Amino acid sequence: MMAKPKVAFFDFTCCEGCQIEFTNYGDAAFLELLKHVDVVEFREAMSEKTKDPIDIAFIEGSFSREADRPRLEDIRKRAKIVIAYGQCATTGGVNALKNHTKDYKQFVYQKDAAMPHLDSQKAVGVDQAIKVDYYAWGCPVNKYEVLQIVSHLLHGKEPVIPNYPVCVECKRRETICRYDVGDYCLGQTARAGCGAPCPADGIPCEACRGFVDQPNQDALVKVLSKRAGMPWGWAEGKSRMFTANQRGDAA
Amino acid sequence: MSSHFIKESDFAAFLAGLIKEKKVVGPVAKTSRQQEKFVFAQLERGEDLRLDYDVTILPPKKEFFPTQQDLVRFDGPRREGCVTPEEKVLFGVHFYDVKALDMTDLLFQERNDDRNYTARREAATVVISNIQKVSPRAFWSSIGAEIQPQGHDAWLSRIAGGYVLEPRTPKGAALLRFGKFATATPAQIAAARQANDAVAAQCPERLQGTSESNARKVRAAFGQEELWTKLAEDCFSCGSCNTVCPTCYCFDVQDWWNVDQKSGARTRYWDSCLTEDFAKISLGAGATENFRESRGERFRHRFMRKAAYLNEKLGGPACVGCGRCSAACTADIADPTAVINNIPEA
Ligand code: SF4
Ligand code: SF4
Ligand code: SF4
Ligand code: SF4
Ligand code: SF4
Repeated sequence: MMAKPKVAFFDFTCCEGCQIEFTNYGDAAFLELLKHVDVVEFREAMSEKTKDPIDIAFIEGSFSREADRPRLEDIRKRAKIVIAYGQCATTGGVNALKNHTKDYKQFVYQKDAAMPHLDSQKAVGVDQAIKVDYYAWGCPVNKYEVLQIVSHLLHGKEPVIPNYPVCVECKRRETICRYDVGDYCLGQTARAGCGAPCPADGIPCEACRGFVDQPNQDALVKVLSKRAGMPWGWAEGKSRMFTANQRGDAA
Repeated sequence: MSSHFIKESDFAAFLAGLIKEKKVVGPVAKTSRQQEKFVFAQLERGEDLRLDYDVTILPPKKEFFPTQQDLVRFDGPRREGCVTPEEKVLFGVHFYDVKALDMTDLLFQERNDDRNYTARREAATVVISNIQKVSPRAFWSSIGAEIQPQGHDAWLSRIAGGYVLEPRTPKGAALLRFGKFATATPAQIAAARQANDAVAAQCPERLQGTSESNARKVRAAFGQEELWTKLAEDCFSCGSCNTVCPTCYCFDVQDWWNVDQKSGARTRYWDSCLTEDFAKISLGAGATENFRESRGERFRHRFMRKAAYLNEKLGGPACVGCGRCSAACTADIADPTAVINNIPEA
């Protein structure tokens, strides 16, 4: 087993919701975890910053400003393992929704739109700037999956990160399919690993963990329109919320 | 063994007595937006049993081969096997699912006796119930009709005024003491037979040809790449057609540690050959290869497995016509009747 690795968290363009998830294990589990990892940098819960080498770097948030590149490169140099942490970091997440629009600044910042510190480029995953070793998908991440990724790394085992659709986990728990009740769902193209909680709660999967490696996007549009009765144009754009950079029409 | 009759009015007491003494698993309703579907679950009360179900979301196989099952639990150097036989009555199984259990019974025993499956299987009493309602995609009457269901302990049929119970094994006969059963009259036995026979005509779908002719033509179509590519055009590789299938038996094994990083389990999970990474293997030194990389190849593989590859071993196709795959496929391309009927004779 890996000796107590030094773990650090870094955030870029995001809501920091995924870092919050890391503190949501409950006290007992969190304290137990801290026996096995040494958290050296973590803005949500502590203030010290180091320049020392790191074993595992969790990077949260998308890469959306060229100015962030040196900081990312510095993390890569210091870290043995880099994990893109959360949907913003893995794919650009919801930030990437702006990529195919031109007027988002006026809508979001209104009178401040022209201020230079609000300037940003296309929002993309951090792997567009540096090499990423593992991906913790989800908006937010699934904290239990993160725990297992860390655990597997501690034991020198390749982390288990599914590349099959949410339907696999949904069927395993015998949820009634949203399509059988006249609803829609994106679970056929969404990456599993969450345990399919949304259909089980009676709402569609919105693919918050992004797509599997080879999503059948054309078939999704067909099924959304044919079986869920969505107008074609709507069906075509439906999956964009969390997959803007993974779609065939990514900007 | 002789047949027995229980009056409708005595049936609730029979169930209640059974549930009080044994773990009983049977079909119960599950609803979403007023849509009713069925699942096998442990019965808390006899009233929950829905013998008028059409088909369950997952097959009863899950009672012996759970979707997720620990094989070994460990704590530091200590290891403990997880063979957990649990006596239970699986009540109200449709005959096509028992035919599928016959197949998984064989497949989990050949070459290596998989005790994690067989120990649970041996500890169960399986009661068939006649099909009162046919599911919208069923075709069990036209596939493998030459094969009779084996692995059951009793067969229950609903007739006017009550139920006929035909024990097949001593385990099945042991159920009689829980209810007010009388010896069935020849008329009641005939009515039970009739109830089972008549429903076959109601299957909404039909597979043409024989088990042999279908095996032949499906196998002969192996090399027709465009055919399989076209058939799989809308396939999501979501594996739902495998996950709901009563004859699928693939699994993946993973190790997990608890947060103490010392204890944990080696667990198996249902796997699906339609998913993208199913056939991805290690070539060593970090290299991998996927020997069924395209959707068409994976889609074809499922049909080879269901209609041809296993036939000699099983005595017929590895499909019992439950129609679960057809209903579960959101793209509606998984239906074995639609696919096989449209492959021209070899
Ligand atoms: S992935 Fe979602 S939850 Fe996580 S930082 Fe981005 S917006 Fe927040
Ligand atoms: S509800 Fe969604 S995730 Fe579940 S089986 Fe249906 S399409 Fe797949
Ligand atoms: S079911 Fe879909 S939307 Fe829900 S957590 Fe999983 S991936 Fe996200
Ligand atoms: S055939 Fe249908 S159910 Fe099977 S993997 Fe393809 S889309 Fe999913
Ligand atoms: S292939 Fe389809 S119809 Fe045949 S047994 Fe499996 S789920 Fe049922």
